[in-house]
Parts: sequence; structure tokens; C-alpha cells
Amino acid sequence: MATTIASINITSTDLLSDSLSLSAIATLTGAGSSTGLTGTEGLGRKKLASGHAQYVLFDGGNRTADKAHKIYLKNLSSTAAEYFLITVNGEDMGRLYAGDWAFFPWSAHDQDNDIKIDPSADDMTLEYMLFTDD
Amino acid sequence: MATTATLTLASSDIAGDPVSVTKTATLTKAGSLIDLDQSTGLSRVHLRSATNKVLLAANAEGNNLAAKVYIINKSTDASLYVTVTINAQTIGKLYGGDFMFIPWSQTDTAASIEVAATSWTASTGDIPVEYALFHEDTDFLTNA
Repeated sequence: MATTIASINITSTDLLSDSLSLSAIATLTGAGSSTGLTGTEGLGRKKLASGHAQYVLFDGGNRTADKAHKIYLKNLSSTAAEYFLITVNGEDMGRLYAGDWAFFPWSAHDQDNDIKIDPSADDMTLEYMLFTDD
Repeated sequence: MATTATLTLASSDIAGDPVSVTKTATLTKAGSLIDLDQSTGLSRVHLRSATNKVLLAANAEGNNLAAKVYIINKSTDASLYVTVTINAQTIGKLYGGDFMFIPWSQTDTAASIEVAATSWTASTGDIPVEYALFHEDTDFLTNA
């Protein structure tokens, strides 16, 4: 069993009339258990050059269904207008603009439950990591 | 008005070498360097139904604007999970203690974020969920 920690801190001193400070720490464990996730595909980068068509980043058919996989994504672009559209089984999740990151669970509940990315411009690079619960 | 979100991923033993990733994002409006200026604040609901409930209702004005969603399952029971969906498409399950932070495009008014306490039964007790939305559209309303 491995121990992997994910923590988040969201802060602002001027968004609200009082300071905002949210924080949470999660140990990444298997579905419904306290056993730590033991698999990862490692930290990777994908550069999508010309054509910038939709690309399957994670294939739902390659993972055990209905598990507690976790996904990290970051748009490494420094051009504010450039984004990756993230979709799950064809449904738009959102646009990951330059410098933004996302972290979310992925059930991979069936073979169609792919995570796809669609860059808004050529030559954009996405950093990603998948923690698996197979 | 800078709001920042920092993620840290760390493990000394999930791979042959340690994993240590720390990333900070400044939350800005779509395609610009202007900071997001609105938030629902941190909200809390107690779920006691396996039926999908609208946590954040998509707003047509928010279509493809920048919005960031933070959701955490505050249950201390590792077996109790909340299923998160967008327009009925399952994203994943947040087990006790798990959190997520995602961009949300509100592509259409059907793209609401819904949650279901799928593992809930009368004997498990409520599943507490906290969430916050950071956004730029001016007409956003939540009906959680």
C-alpha cells in the first residue's frame, strides 16, 4: 500500500469582505476502503501540435470500472486566451485556461467514459497525472 | 482581487521515485488576466438521498465563461460516496474526505452539476458535502 496525499488551498484577501481560506487534505484511497492507491501513470506532458483536434487522454476502457481513479490536469500555456476543453464521455466539463489546473475523481464507469481534451490552439501542452484504482 | 488555488500531490512510495507536485493557479476570467470577482462562498449540504440533486444550476449567461467548482465529501466514513455528474454524465465518485476542483463551462442550461449520495441508506446517516463556486457571470443563482 502506498500513501499519496492531495491537498488544496484556496485563498483570497479581497474577493470577499473577509479573507477567504479554504483548505483540505485527502489521502488517495481505493473505492470504499482505507487502502491507499498503488497505481499511477506518472506525471506526463502531452503537446498537441497542428490540427488541435479532440484527443483521448484517458480511455475508459483501459481502467477498471466504478473505481476511485484520480486525475490531475494543468494547462501549461502562458497565453491567457488559450484553453483546453475537458470532456467526459462527450459532455463538456469546462475550459482549462492558461495556468489553470484541475483535480477530480474519475469513475471510468464504462468504456465510453473517456477523458478527452481539445486545445483551442496549436502547440499547446497539457501536464497530467492519473492515479489508478485497478 | 486575486484568488489563488494551490494543489499539492505528494507520495514517497507510489512510484520508484517520490512524487511531489505543487501548482498554484490564479483564478481569472475567461481568456484574460482579470481576476474572478464573484463567489457563492463555502456552502454545506447534508445529502440523504441516492437521487441526483442539483448542487449548482447551469446558467445560460455563464456559457463558456470561467467558473471553478470546489466540492468535498466531508464524511469520515471511507465507504460513503457522492456521485458527481454534469448533465447526467458521471464524472466520478467522491469518497469520504475526497475533494475535487474543476473548471465548469456551463455549456448549456442542462449542464448543471448534480450530486447523489449513492451509498446512502437510512442507517448510514447523512453525507455532508461542502462546495464553493468562483465565477464571473452576473446572473448566477444556486438552487441547492
